[in-house]
Amino acid sequence: MNKRIMISLLSCGILIVCICFLPFFFPGPYHLHVLILTMMNIILASSLRLINLSGQLSLAHGGMMTIGAYTSTLLVMKLGFSSWLALLMAGFFPAVIACLVGFPFVRLKGIYFAIVTIFLGEMIVLTAGQWRSLTGGSSGIFNIPRPNPLVIPGIVNITFSSKVDFYYLAFVLMLISLLILYAVENSRIGLTLRGIQQTDSLAESVGINTAGFKVLAFTIGCFFPGLIGGFYSQYISAINPDTFGFLFTIYLLVYMTVGGAERFIGPILGAFILTIFPEVTRPLKAFVPFFFAAVLMVVIFFMPEGIAGLPERLHKAIRKLLEKKTNHA
Amino acid sequence: MLEIEGLTKFFGGLAALSGVDMRVKPGDILGLIGPNGAGKTTLFNLVTGFLRPTKGRVIFEGKDITGKKPHSIAAKAIVRTFQATNIFPDFTVLQNIVLSCHLVPKIGLLETVFHTPSSRRKDEDILQRSQAILELVGLDTMADVAALNLAHGHKRILGIAIALAAEPKLLLLDEPLSGMNAEEVSETMRLIDRLWQSGITILLIEHNMRAAMSLCQRIVVLNFGRKIAEGSPEEIKGNNEVIQAYLGAGEYAP
Repeated sequence: MNKRIMISLLSCGILIVCICFLPFFFPGPYHLHVLILTMMNIILASSLRLINLSGQLSLAHGGMMTIGAYTSTLLVMKLGFSSWLALLMAGFFPAVIACLVGFPFVRLKGIYFAIVTIFLGEMIVLTAGQWRSLTGGSSGIFNIPRPNPLVIPGIVNITFSSKVDFYYLAFVLMLISLLILYAVENSRIGLTLRGIQQTDSLAESVGINTAGFKVLAFTIGCFFPGLIGGFYSQYISAINPDTFGFLFTIYLLVYMTVGGAERFIGPILGAFILTIFPEVTRPLKAFVPFFFAAVLMVVIFFMPEGIAGLPERLHKAIRKLLEKKTNHA
Repeated sequence: MLEIEGLTKFFGGLAALSGVDMRVKPGDILGLIGPNGAGKTTLFNLVTGFLRPTKGRVIFEGKDITGKKPHSIAAKAIVRTFQATNIFPDFTVLQNIVLSCHLVPKIGLLETVFHTPSSRRKDEDILQRSQAILELVGLDTMADVAALNLAHGHKRILGIAIALAAEPKLLLLDEPLSGMNAEEVSETMRLIDRLWQSGITILLIEHNMRAAMSLCQRIVVLNFGRKIAEGSPEEIKGNNEVIQAYLGAGEYAP
């Protein structure tokens, strides 16, 4: 057991170092952009999975990102907040909204919960499009200022004038987010959420406030899309209501499912592969939705535990094969 | 300890339970019997908050708990088991119990996320309690087995162990012996008896008459949502109305 932990810690370390040096191999702005998108998608799909742990599917991620993006933008541009504080608020504000609507929402189960979250997301997007005095209507807001420079005199001076700076910011955000999500999942909260997913009436009967825990998962799970929404608006320096539409949310669901919703690594793998792959085959970009649908079908039919479940399945299959052979011999 | 006054539940126009009065005293072991559809499980659901009564009150240790949420009723130490969905199938046996030790000792949310020393101590505590419970019910050798893979009888015992993890004063067992073979039945009966001896008050739904009669001091009989009899096992055996409820009345019935 200890050996396994050592190996996984070591491989995590190597991976982190590799990601740190990636910009030296792919210095072009396009490559960096794709990598930044990948890291964003990894956080988004992983936070979607946290909500999924409690047996609920949220499709409000696009809406939560929209709230985050506008929160951060308006706080900086209208109220003169520091961009870093605004970024944090971009996470907290959607979380507060999720907590408030959570209690009525979690009375619904399964597909019905998913449906009300779709409506929530769409409502947010529509509001952003219609509230012209605040959000600039459907044309959105331009010239959003860059993040405030990080200066430690003589040592660090990050001005966020190039994509590389945003690459490292995204990387730090990803590391922190994944650490938090991992810690939550491997705490008693994670155990409780998974118990609720399996049999929520039984969990309730031993004194677990199942509604409270579902809202907790929803709240934490909505913090991260808000954060990423804020980050994205500062990175692209423009935001409009259609940036994170419903299709975007569905893509996140595809990342999670294809990667495997049962394991922590699942959404990370799914988001990585499905963000990078369409970019590699750029000429066929128009076919991306078709490609995603095909991948999703293949995964659902042939790998019910997603890509992350593949090694275990292969291992079992090989062992079975070997057993058969020894039986014959 | 538990007082039920005029408890009534309508499902649409159908009275699943109508005007049932009942008292459970501390240290009781009380059987609840009746033909299928008599309203036994409905009564459990009403007492533990899974259903809201149409009329009537449930009073536990002097406090009105009618219509409270199931988890807060569990926190008052009334814990029930289920007939069907009675385990967390994807967890190991030990995890089932560890999760169910939710009420004591309380661990804060931030404590558990940050793995503070205090949470680790409490985790250790929970682990010990869980192992003690598994030893008590005799599942300690199967601690690391996935609950899904247990034999039926063991699954049912795990269901009781899960309820025990919530430290009940009043334990409501919903057909704990159903689907068990003779050996498992006598083993589980011994377990229930031990729990009762250790001071847990028990309310028991059971279709196995012999078991119910030998375990319980007092028996309440429900039929079509009404209480038709209450008394010692001997009194119930001789009660005409009870015999009619089970066998039907008519020319050929005894």
